Amino acid sequence: MATIELVGVQKDYGRGRKAVRAVHDLSYTIADGHFVSLLGPSGCGKSTTLNMIAGLEDITGGEILIDGARVDDLEPDKRDLAFVFQDYALYPHMDVRDNIGFGLRMRKVDKAETERRVVDAARRLDIEHVLGNRPRNLSGGQRQRVALARAIARRPKVFLFDEPLSNLDALLRDQTRSELKLLHAELGATSVYVTHDQEEAMTLSDRIVVMSRGKLEQYGTPYEIYHRPATTFVASFVGKPRMNLLPSARVERGRYAVGGSTFTVDVAGLDAEQVRLGLRPEECSLRRAADGEDASGEVKVVEPLGNVSDVTVDLGSALFVVRVPGFSELTVGDRVVLGAERATVHCFDPTSEERLTGADR
Amino acid sequence: MSRARTRLARTVVHRVLVALLLVYLLAPFAWMLLYSLYPATALQTLTPDLDPSQIRLDSYAALLSDPSFLTPMANSAVVGLATTVLCMVLGSGCAYVIARYRFRGRSVLLLGMLTVQAVPVIVLAVPLFILLRAFGQYDTLLGLVITYTAFILPLVVWMMVGFFEELPPSLERAAVVDGCNRLQIMTRIAVPLAAPGLAAAAVLAFITAWSDFFLAKVLTITSATTLPVRTAAFQGLFAMDYTSAATAGVITAAPVLLLALVAQKWIIRGLVEGAVKG
Repeated sequence: MATIELVGVQKDYGRGRKAVRAVHDLSYTIADGHFVSLLGPSGCGKSTTLNMIAGLEDITGGEILIDGARVDDLEPDKRDLAFVFQDYALYPHMDVRDNIGFGLRMRKVDKAETERRVVDAARRLDIEHVLGNRPRNLSGGQRQRVALARAIARRPKVFLFDEPLSNLDALLRDQTRSELKLLHAELGATSVYVTHDQEEAMTLSDRIVVMSRGKLEQYGTPYEIYHRPATTFVASFVGKPRMNLLPSARVERGRYAVGGSTFTVDVAGLDAEQVRLGLRPEECSLRRAADGEDASGEVKVVEPLGNVSDVTVDLGSALFVVRVPGFSELTVGDRVVLGAERATVHCFDPTSEERLTGADR
Repeated sequence: MSRARTRLARTVVHRVLVALLLVYLLAPFAWMLLYSLYPATALQTLTPDLDPSQIRLDSYAALLSDPSFLTPMANSAVVGLATTVLCMVLGSGCAYVIARYRFRGRSVLLLGMLTVQAVPVIVLAVPLFILLRAFGQYDTLLGLVITYTAFILPLVVWMMVGFFEELPPSLERAAVVDGCNRLQIMTRIAVPLAAPGLAAAAVLAFITAWSDFFLAKVLTITSATTLPVRTAAFQGLFAMDYTSAATAGVITAAPVLLLALVAQKWIIRGLVEGAVKG
């Protein structure tokens, strides 16, 4: 069991004036036994961060500690962690048994114990029957399981996952995801999981680290990430469909016009002239405007998904998405009135892009 | 219809050209094989008598029991194998480093490997002769092995870099996490995975060393003479003994042909890939 601390961790590529900073000043603590996801778009530095924790890449500045001991100058195999790679990285010239046991053999674990752990790991992942096969004779899902078994057999303090599900098809991905969650509950080892898939991050994690352009955007529980996004980036990255984020001007005290339209929302305790307001599509409501009633806008697109429909409304100056239950009766061109009575209104500073506190309700 | 006919015509022309090329390339070898099997008198007529009952293996038996032929044969085998082993040990380490590490002068080094291949051997023959004699390695097997290694190593490295670069880097990262040091990564992961390519490089090294005539002729005189040099000597010593000369030719060529057939696919891949990726 292990606590991982990152203190002012930085990563530069290149030297001198040509140096490019890939990771900026990361500081956070991953608690013992937690499952933490590093979430962000590609190129945000999440994989680099994972590689730095693993020791596969050197850090340029700062410190990494595991259980209070500094590890950033240790070789990867001295850090007591296991790594599950995106492409599984199974050794093609070894059978499954040797693949799972390789790390143990390199650590001079005795033969009987190695075999016991290999079989135990294989049993947990239901791949006992393929122990004698070479990786090329396995399906994608089985390879994924072998990669997981290899990590488990080592019984490390820390598990690191680099987008381990991204090579699986959608159905298998969902299934493996829930198995991964069960496995973590069973083993209880500290796990760091890199993904660009917000759904994976939300379902699996105790905490989520949201990163963008090498910087930490927010570190919090899935609840906090979803309900109290710290920046406009987090607000727009997490949640599907994306949060409506529109520049809004104050029309009277505590009331703002969303995106310069006639649609207004009340925000108590906020004084700024200009803000960016965020409203989640599933929290807003929509109804057809009565004759003679002032409409917020016109329906532009209706996308039925079965249990819900996403309706895009043209406010005149901007587009606004609302998720309504079932198949919507609205059709393109209908004049509609938006409602945000039940919605949480997220307020952000238009220049710093950070959440304005005090405006939460 | 006419398009199908054009295609057919093209195929026919192609096949005929390939057949002609094969005859051009194989006829001398076939002729040599016939000479080694039939009595010369049966072939040196206007209507060669190819009756299978005429086939004699006497010349093979005679050569393979003649010490003056067996010694050069053993020399060639020793030189070929020693050169191959040396090239593989030095070459795999060198190629792995070039393939996996970025360092100053890396591409210059790789290009240099190819450039030295363009230097004609004849330019170096006399300096090599003087050098080997000065070090007391003239007419020794060691002298030949060192010389051949120097010539073949760059080509072998060039080939192997391509094979090592093909291996996914994540495998080596997995090995690092599993506790391998750099040498273990190479010996336990990279070399076994690149094995087919390395085998092809080994075959190429062996064929080159085994079949070299020119350097062996210049750098040996009696005790370290190799098979190609000995085979050529039939011309002068027994002006009329075509059968023995042909038999020696077949014995020299057989291992080369066999190895080339087995490894041709990989040799071509190695050369092409090295060229493209370098």
